[in-house]
Amino acid sequence: MSLTEQLEAYLTRTTGLPTKVVAMARIPGGASRETYRFDADVGGTIKPLILRRDPVGSLIDTDRRLEFLAFRSFHGRGLPVPEAIALEEEGAELERPFFIMGRIDGGKAGSPFSAPPYGDHARAIGEQFFGHLGAIAAADPLTLPISEAAEAPALDACWKRELDYWSGVIEADELHPQPIVRAAIRRLRANPPPPAQKLSVVHGDYRTGNFLHDGEGRVIALLDWEMAHLGDPLEDLGWAMDPLWCYGETERVCGMVPRAQAIALWEKASGLKVDLKAFAWWELFASVKGQAIWTSSAKEFRDGGLKDPVLGFSGWYTARRQDIILADRLSQGMALLEAQA
Amino acid sequence: MTPTVAELLLGNFVAFSNPPPPEAMGDFMTSRIGIVGMISMLAAQEADRGAAARIWENGAIRAMLARGGGYGPFAEVQDGEATIEALDAVNADLRRALIALHEAVEAAKDDDLDREILDLYVKMAQARRLDLPPFPAS
Repeated sequence: MSLTEQLEAYLTRTTGLPTKVVAMARIPGGASRETYRFDADVGGTIKPLILRRDPVGSLIDTDRRLEFLAFRSFHGRGLPVPEAIALEEEGAELERPFFIMGRIDGGKAGSPFSAPPYGDHARAIGEQFFGHLGAIAAADPLTLPISEAAEAPALDACWKRELDYWSGVIEADELHPQPIVRAAIRRLRANPPPPAQKLSVVHGDYRTGNFLHDGEGRVIALLDWEMAHLGDPLEDLGWAMDPLWCYGETERVCGMVPRAQAIALWEKASGLKVDLKAFAWWELFASVKGQAIWTSSAKEFRDGGLKDPVLGFSGWYTARRQDIILADRLSQGMALLEAQA
Repeated sequence: MTPTVAELLLGNFVAFSNPPPPEAMGDFMTSRIGIVGMISMLAAQEADRGAAARIWENGAIRAMLARGGGYGPFAEVQDGEATIEALDAVNADLRRALIALHEAVEAAKDDDLDREILDLYVKMAQARRLDLPPFPAS
């Protein structure tokens, strides 16, 4: 039975109406889950939908229930987040866990490996990109659906939980010794940041390439919540501003706006302040987390029979770019990080 | 280093060794072909520079281990064949020793040698860099 037929069987059973799936097409990107766009003809009503199904192997091992609840937490709250519609953790007719969400058409995602994609709209995109991230940081996570599944760490434990997790990934998946990232991990442990200002929903992968824009200066969808969790809101800001996602630009972060403006936009929307010493920690951590993901990609590429070139590319080219960023940060940025010790 | 160029290029073949399902045609297949093309282009760079980069890095780490000999001893590891596979095997041993040296240097709060090691990391990362041309934005 094809995936289309499996999906038709599932939707017919769950809606109680005869359902046809048309124009099923896999979407590139979304490397942690297989992502498909399709139209469901449910008893004569056409619904534009997205299917996110667990892969056999993946860049990152994430909890699809958390991702589903993250979409549900922010849809309809003033942010361009698609509606989460159905979650099947046992896989049902599709044999692997999946969820279905609403589809937002008319947008495109800018690859972080292309030239800066926003043109004359860079400033407008940047204002929304960092403003939306500030709005996510401002929300009280304990009032949102994601709190049903996400652990709420103590404010002074956010950094350690994340560092323990991602350094553990490197420990488990490393296939060749990596002195640069290991030095960064030691620096982070020796110089912990102050407690988080507040507990926030952390998107976990908020960056260029993980949102859609309409080509005319409007952000129309915030996507890829698969690493969502609760934690220090500075984590997302540090990840978003990692040079890996900035098209090689040094004047503008994310190919959008100057760094100081990005921080000001986030502060205004979140009502929080960016402590530069704490932020230095989270920026270095972002590059450690990145290297952990690329380390896992390399292992998964090999363990999975070399089938997915995205995993191979990530574990090779992207890992080397991340090493350059990490080495530069260690060499140039330690004074600020260590000043808080 | 992993994945190796041999694995990556074999992967390029494996990626297209079975007919894709109908839903994987279109944008997904176009993107996959693009990634395979990028891997092939970068593999050419690695074939050109990879052995030289490893020989340089292995030598630079050896020099650093000698510089930090007081924190040792560190086993002497010499390059054998000038193939990337053989150089990587030696490199793994040298990198493990470099990690041990750096940990010892940090514990001793030897700021001068710490700075030298951090500078070495910058050079090591740069020596292995791969250059993608600026693809036009979609």
